[in-house]
Amino acid sequence: MKNLQVDALVVGGGIAGMQSALDLADQGFHVALVEKEASIGGKMISLSKVFPTLDCCSCITTPKMSAVAHHENITLLTYCEVVALEQNGASYRAQINKKPRYVNEESCTGCRLCEYACPLDLPSAFDMGLGAQRVIRVPFSTAVPQKAVLDIDNCILCGKCENVCPVADCIDFTQTAVTFEIHADAIVLATGFELTPTDAKAEYGGGKLRNVVDALTVERFLAPTGPYGHVLRPSDGKEPESIAYVQCAGSRDISLGVAYCSRICCMYAIKQAMLLSGALPLADITIYYMDIRTFGKGYEQFYQNARAMGIEFVRGKVARIHEDAAQNPVVRVEQIDDGSVVEREHDMVVLSVGMLPSYNPGLIYNVPVAADDGFVAQSAANISPCLTYQPGIFVAGTAAGPMDIVDSIVMAGAAAAETAAYLEERRAVGMAGNGRSPQTTSVKEVSYA
Amino acid sequence: MSTRVDPNLLIDLQDYGAVGAEKCFNCGTCTAMCPLTSDEHPFPRNMIRLAQVGAKEQLLASTDPWLCYYCGDCASTCPKEAEPGETMMALRRWLTAQYDPTGLSAKLYTSETAVIKTIVRIGLIVLVLFIGYHALTGFHNIVTNSVQLNTFAPVMLVWALVLLHGSMLFYRMIAGVFKMSRHVLAPVTMGNKVPLRIYLETLPVYITAFATQRRWRDCHGDDEEKHDDGRWFKHFLLVTGYVTMLVLILGFLWWFQTDAFYPLWHPQRWLGYYATIVLIYTSSEILIGRWRKTEQLHRFSQPTDWLFPTFILTGAVTGIFVHIFRYAGWAWPTYIIYVIHVMAMVAMLDTEVGVGKWAHLFYRPLAMYLEAIKAKVREEQLVPDFAPTGTD
Repeated sequence: MKNLQVDALVVGGGIAGMQSALDLADQGFHVALVEKEASIGGKMISLSKVFPTLDCCSCITTPKMSAVAHHENITLLTYCEVVALEQNGASYRAQINKKPRYVNEESCTGCRLCEYACPLDLPSAFDMGLGAQRVIRVPFSTAVPQKAVLDIDNCILCGKCENVCPVADCIDFTQTAVTFEIHADAIVLATGFELTPTDAKAEYGGGKLRNVVDALTVERFLAPTGPYGHVLRPSDGKEPESIAYVQCAGSRDISLGVAYCSRICCMYAIKQAMLLSGALPLADITIYYMDIRTFGKGYEQFYQNARAMGIEFVRGKVARIHEDAAQNPVVRVEQIDDGSVVEREHDMVVLSVGMLPSYNPGLIYNVPVAADDGFVAQSAANISPCLTYQPGIFVAGTAAGPMDIVDSIVMAGAAAAETAAYLEERRAVGMAGNGRSPQTTSVKEVSYA
Repeated sequence: MSTRVDPNLLIDLQDYGAVGAEKCFNCGTCTAMCPLTSDEHPFPRNMIRLAQVGAKEQLLASTDPWLCYYCGDCASTCPKEAEPGETMMALRRWLTAQYDPTGLSAKLYTSETAVIKTIVRIGLIVLVLFIGYHALTGFHNIVTNSVQLNTFAPVMLVWALVLLHGSMLFYRMIAGVFKMSRHVLAPVTMGNKVPLRIYLETLPVYITAFATQRRWRDCHGDDEEKHDDGRWFKHFLLVTGYVTMLVLILGFLWWFQTDAFYPLWHPQRWLGYYATIVLIYTSSEILIGRWRKTEQLHRFSQPTDWLFPTFILTGAVTGIFVHIFRYAGWAWPTYIIYVIHVMAMVAMLDTEVGVGKWAHLFYRPLAMYLEAIKAKVREEQLVPDFAPTGTD
């Protein structure tokens, strides 16, 4: 694959990365967007609805995904990972590893005939292991690009997909990883977050209790594109009559190594509780919480609405979860309001897991992480939150710390503006620009920040 | 009813070893983790909360700190590393100091120099007494060609001094016991007297708690991986050894301290050996644990935590050497080690009984006893003389 020369490289194709790429591209800058998964969309595309407006999440995300894919100034590189990012004179050189799809990305039409022909079902990664997916498949229905990807580790090489594929030489079992370089004058890091794994806390069953799920799983239950089109608990497919939310199941807990608040969990738990009340009108929903943090516009009202709807809020951090004989999770908690310790049985327990950084500082040139939380360190967090400690490298969205979708989008726009200003300033002093080769001037000579 | 708060309480408690109470955000994990909590005693969070808000009166009236045996489940799961178990430990020290009428306890718990000064002072007093006694008797009582311990330190004189000293210490202890009882019972009795009958009827609670420390065995609850009766059993052994020695010295010193040589099967010998072996084993075990810090409860040792096991070890080792030297017929070593033994033991009793770690021996069972009395008073609904519920 050919090396690329662009103005800006955006690392990460979630909502923040897409927004930054679009905002830069709309201003005429050439942008490369690198996404490690086979489709862009990030975590947001798998969500059901957004708080506090309860807008359909796909309906907001897919237009942006399409816009990215079709924008003439954006080169979209999916299934690619940045394996090293180094300074190259005044600009940056990123080494990109393109993982093999075993499908020719140029010729694949996304017809999905291969997927229908594939005889093997695996737990669906996109549906949090609830539904099934084929070994060769388009990642999910609204994936961008609509290109098939083959999971070679689970493939039995039966060749059925190859037989039905209408395009010659499209499926290629011999494909290998390709390495190439991207030369960019500026970088936007939008590497997002990971969720606290459900097995992180032994007291919450260590991931072994089947009816203890994380909140992203519930998003899939609730999403119109979800696996069952219905809320069914994992162990026996029963419709849960009693659902509990355990707040701070991955945040504000030093025993998990996470001292910070993940900010989104209160609101998504309230949102899910409301949606579940709609999906299961007879179900009792309880939220065990320490304090409810409704920090954004309209959030407090949203919370009050949930209370008024009859969702039960119990103050107290769940200490332990165990299972009874019927695999019903039983939570043990001190109810702070009256100081009593109770054990309450529910049909399903949802862990309101938190945000962990997914950025790997070892790969990126001179961009450290904050010592206390592991998110990308901001050099001027309160006045220019998109700046890192390396001029020319900017940060957007949850790569910088826990934040919700609205804040991620705002920050992505800000990062695009900072990047644009940086690129314009470089052009003004005659340094490398769009399509021109970078000069060997040190970045420090650029009057910046 | 109004509550007086002491805004400095949390700072004061830090001197007693409450290392993280200020970090607590009252999530309740500790209380829900604790296998010993009950509806009446939902600790440790309630105690931390009272400490945070400075509710001194409620803490003084509470027995909860004595009901905790510090398994450490609260500390290992605390999301704030607020060390709830350590706060309970600090509260036990603080309560001991609050109950102590002499004020010595507070000094020992909050100042290392006070501990050293007190020990040295008491040791020197004992030494002066020995020297004074022999100076008055013209040093004729130091027989060196054979071991004559009862001439060097006449047993009836020593016993009389032990009983005198013991009764002084007992008075100090009992004063603390009364103070604790007053505070704990006040919210239920509302100034009324509890009938003697109830004290007597509930007495078995005290005796079983004292003799068995049974409650401890519920630590870690039904967690089979962690559940371990070993710690309880070792402590139980320690108690048997300690009580054996206490009874031998207080009641039978005239028989125990002897110049006679007995055969091995004689109770004077095997009782002494049993107590010595048990005390040396268990106290070294405790000291090694505190040194290694592998267990939850041993991570934050205060100087006073080291003191009691160190004294027990010193007492047992010097005691057995008195015996060994006497049987070996070495006069001077016997006398010297005997003086050291007495110096150490008097220092231990003065810095422990009712004022140090030793006090838990009395206060733990007392806490359970007082709770039983309270329950009985409530159960019998001695109204209108007694308020049906209290504020604990």
